[in-house]
Order: sequence, then structure tokens, then C-alpha cells
Amino acid sequence: MIATIVHTDELLQTVLASVVAGIGVTFLFSLGIWGAGQFAELSRSERPVAATAALAVGAVALVCVGAAIVIGIVVMTHK
Amino acid sequence: MNSDVILILVVATALAFDFTNGFHDTANVVATSISTGAARPQVAIGFAALLNFVGAFISISVAATVAKDVVDAEVITPTIVFAGLIGAIAWNLITWWFGLPSSSSHALIGGVVGSAIAAVGFDAVIAEGLVGKVLIPAVVAPVLAFLVAGVAIAVSYRVVGKQRPGIVSRGYRYGQIVSGGLLALAHGTNDAQKTMGIITLALIANGTLAAESDPPFWVIASAATAIALGTYSGGWRIIKTTGTRIIKMDAAQGFSAQGAGAAVILASTHFGFPLSTTHVINGGVMGSGAAKRLSAVRWGVAGNIVVAWLLTLPAAAAIGALTFGITRIFGTGALGPVLVALMALSLVGVAFARRAQEGAPVEATGA
Repeated sequence: MIATIVHTDELLQTVLASVVAGIGVTFLFSLGIWGAGQFAELSRSERPVAATAALAVGAVALVCVGAAIVIGIVVMTHK
Repeated sequence: MNSDVILILVVATALAFDFTNGFHDTANVVATSISTGAARPQVAIGFAALLNFVGAFISISVAATVAKDVVDAEVITPTIVFAGLIGAIAWNLITWWFGLPSSSSHALIGGVVGSAIAAVGFDAVIAEGLVGKVLIPAVVAPVLAFLVAGVAIAVSYRVVGKQRPGIVSRGYRYGQIVSGGLLALAHGTNDAQKTMGIITLALIANGTLAAESDPPFWVIASAATAIALGTYSGGWRIIKTTGTRIIKMDAAQGFSAQGAGAAVILASTHFGFPLSTTHVINGGVMGSGAAKRLSAVRWGVAGNIVVAWLLTLPAAAAIGALTFGITRIFGTGALGPVLVALMALSLVGVAFARRAQEGAPVEATGA
């Protein structure tokens, strides 16, 4: 009875989606900024390989942010 | 003929309510971006209005909840919906006048529930939908936004903590263009749908639509337009709100708060939960502040949200019930609703004129 009223399943999915999207996207975006920062630092220290690797990590993270947003909106529009 | 007149009144009143909802909430949507310097006010407001409009088209789950899961559409009449709307508007006006916290969304649902109880009795209310889809998410969502934003800002400080402040700050400011846009989109989709739901409920009650119908396109488009116009108009009066009223924040905090708010609102909207978007956004802002320094947050605002939770639904319900009673004095035709609408318009006009004379600012009561 209580489970029916509370919509436990939908509420838990809301909590899960919010946690994954809210924290995950912030983490990935921060990783993008970290990559850009490290790239600048390592380039100044003349360490091109490490700088490129950091930039690649940052770029992949930012692509993941974009993908997460697109997936979220597609899911929203397809119910 | 009578019911068509009432239906036109309901549609006009609901769209006016939607406009004021956008007007009130502009600050909540854009203040964080403006306060961190991520966007100029003109750009942030125009962007928010546009994405509010777009957001209204991406889902109809919340509209379905408002139209079908809160009150029994089969026993509802357009007059009941009208009285509920007036209850919500009156409560918003009262709280605005006295500076009390409120939630337009809860007021809307409370108003309709109150007028339905006055007209039909408690049988008109779908308790399962009201508790499960409105009351419980109303409590869970702001707390969830608080926690998500708190953890998100802790994670981001951990990741970028050793980077140069300049690049970090610039990076999150760019990020806020996206997170602020998502928040505006989320706001548009959840809040505009409440109006769509109310108009759809009135159309079903009037027999214009079959029971269980979804909102027609003209309802979606008009609700989207009303909230977008409200957002655009409201920005110029209430810039100084959430972003600085609750906490002074840096760009990383702004990004986390907006991201958490958008995630919670969009996920809730997907499952058809009509939320107070203001409460969720405030929850995110407070979470991102509390994770950095507990004392930086103005906890009085959190107290106001709790008061709003406790007061809004019953108070709007009482006014909705009273309004229905007043319309009934004039019979079951259109005369009662027309007189009440004229009375409400006069009161709104007088209230705004008095406030303008006193020079007090129009402040958001929340939605």
C-alpha cells in the first residue's frame, strides 16, 4: 500500500539519475578544466607528451559531458 | 455557452498564472550565472526565456500528472478549475504582499484540490497521486539537489584544486553557460507543464477533450509562450535574488548548483513529478555553499522553504474552496466566475498600484 502511494521505483530512479547526472557531469567537466590547466602547465615545463595526454583526457571528458546532455534530452523527449 | 465562457476564463487565467510564474522565477534561473559573472544580465535573461520556451515542448509527463493524477477529471467542472486557479493566484498575491515564502506550483495544486473538495467532497481527490506524485517529491527534491550539489562541488574542488585559479574560474564560467541553459530548459519543462495540465483538465471537464487526453499542441505552445514572455519580462525587476541572497558563490559553485538543480528537475519531470523549481534551485545553491563553508549559507532561506512547504498547500486549498463557494452564490452559470475574475483583477491592480506607490520592489515568491 505504502509502496504504491510512494511510487518508490520512480522516486529511486529519479534519485539515481540526479546523482549520476549531477555529480557525474560536474566531475567530467572538472576533468576537462583539469586537462586544460595541466596542458598549460606541462607545455610551459616543455613536456609535450604529458601535455598532450592531459589535453586528450580533458577533451574526452568534455565530449562525455556533451554526450551525457544529449542523451538526457533524448531520454526526456522519448517518453 | 456558459461553460464556454468559464473555459475561456480558465485558459486566460491559467496563461496569466504561467506568465507570472516565469516573471517570478527569472531570478532563480539566471541569478547564479549573473552573480558569478558567467553571463551579462541581458544575455542570461534572453537565453533563459528562449530555453524556457523550448523546454515546454520536451515532455508532457507533468501535465499528465496535473490533469489526471491529482483530482478525478470525471467529476471536475471548469468552475472548479477556475476557483482553484484563483485560489493559487490569491495566495501568491497574499504571500507577495506580506513577504512570506511561497511556491506557485504548490499553490496551483492546493487551489485545485481545495476547490474540488468544496465542490465534490474528498472523493474528488486522488490521494495516491497527491501524496505520491506531489507531496513526497516536494520534500525529496530540494534535499536531493542540496546533497547532489554538495557532493558535486566537493568533487570538483578535489579535481581542480591544484590548478591556477584563472583557468579554473574561466572554465566554470563557460560551463555555466551550459548548466544555466539546462536549468532554464528544466524550469520551462516542469513549470509550463503545470499550466498545460490545468488547461487540459479544464478542457476534459468541459467535454472539449476526451478523458485521458494529452494536452493539444495549442495548449503546449501557448503555455510555452506565456512562461517565456514572463521570464523575459521578469528579469529586469528581480536580478538580485538567489545568487546573492542565499550565498556569495564562485563559478564552480554556480556550475554545481545549476547542474544539480537541472539534473533533479529534469529527472523528476521525466517521471511526471510537479516540483517547486524554486525550492530545488535554492536547495542546489545551499548545497554548493554548505559543502564549502556551512556558515556561508543563509539558513533563514532554508527555514522559509520549510514554512512554504507547510503553509502553501493548505492555504491555497482554503482560498480555492472559498472561491468556489463565492462563485456558487451566483448559481452554476458563468456569472459567478466572471464576477470573481473581475474582483481578482481589481485586487491585483490595487495591490500593484499600492506597492508601486510605496516604491517597494516586486520580489519572487517562488514556483
